[in-house]
Amino acid sequence: MTLGRDAMTPLTVLSVSETIYHNLLTSIVQDIVSRTTSRQQLQDARYPGLAPLHHDQRGALDVYGRPKPQEASVYFRCPNCSRDLSANRFAAHLERCMSRGARRG
Amino acid sequence: MTAKDKEALELRAQIQQHLVESGNYELISNKLAQRLLDEGWIDQVKKLTRETMQDDNTTNFSEVLKRVEPEAVSLVSANTKNEIMQQIKAFLCDILDTQ
Ligand SMILES: [Zn+2]
Repeated sequence: MTLGRDAMTPLTVLSVSETIYHNLLTSIVQDIVSRTTSRQQLQDARYPGLAPLHHDQRGALDVYGRPKPQEASVYFRCPNCSRDLSANRFAAHLERCMSRGARRG
Repeated sequence: MTAKDKEALELRAQIQQHLVESGNYELISNKLAQRLLDEGWIDQVKKLTRETMQDDNTTNFSEVLKRVEPEAVSLVSANTKNEIMQQIKAFLCDILDTQ
């Protein structure tokens, strides 16, 4: 492609560059907006009225807006001996429970 | 539209086409996207888009774009804009000199 300098008037290199830059930039913006809006539309269609995840500025509540549960009050049933144990004692219990089982076998 | 305006438009389209065919359009576009990602602009625009959807209570592409685009354009750092503009100008000067 060959263009004379004269052909550029009344356009200037600067104004054409500005236009090209603007085209490049706006197509990136359009891409982001298009992805973000269609993602939201899909989410609205699949899960109507879905509440956004909770954000607690103080960092005290989780993504569902709940306070941290007391692990000591959560119980697990041991699959080895079928006893109910406090969740924060589970690892210590397994160590004893499993080795007892191994000795026996 | 005057004849001169029409000529200008045609020339602009011609330059754009040449930019695409020479592979330079993709090159510059990729570089711009990388710079925008590095400076956090991409995430800023995503956040702006989500906030706009929430504030205006719409997911309509055209409505959201109308609100987001001008602000997104103004959020680009001067460094990135200058760098990309330099590249485009250098490319244009190249074509103009090869006559
Ligand atoms: Zn056990």
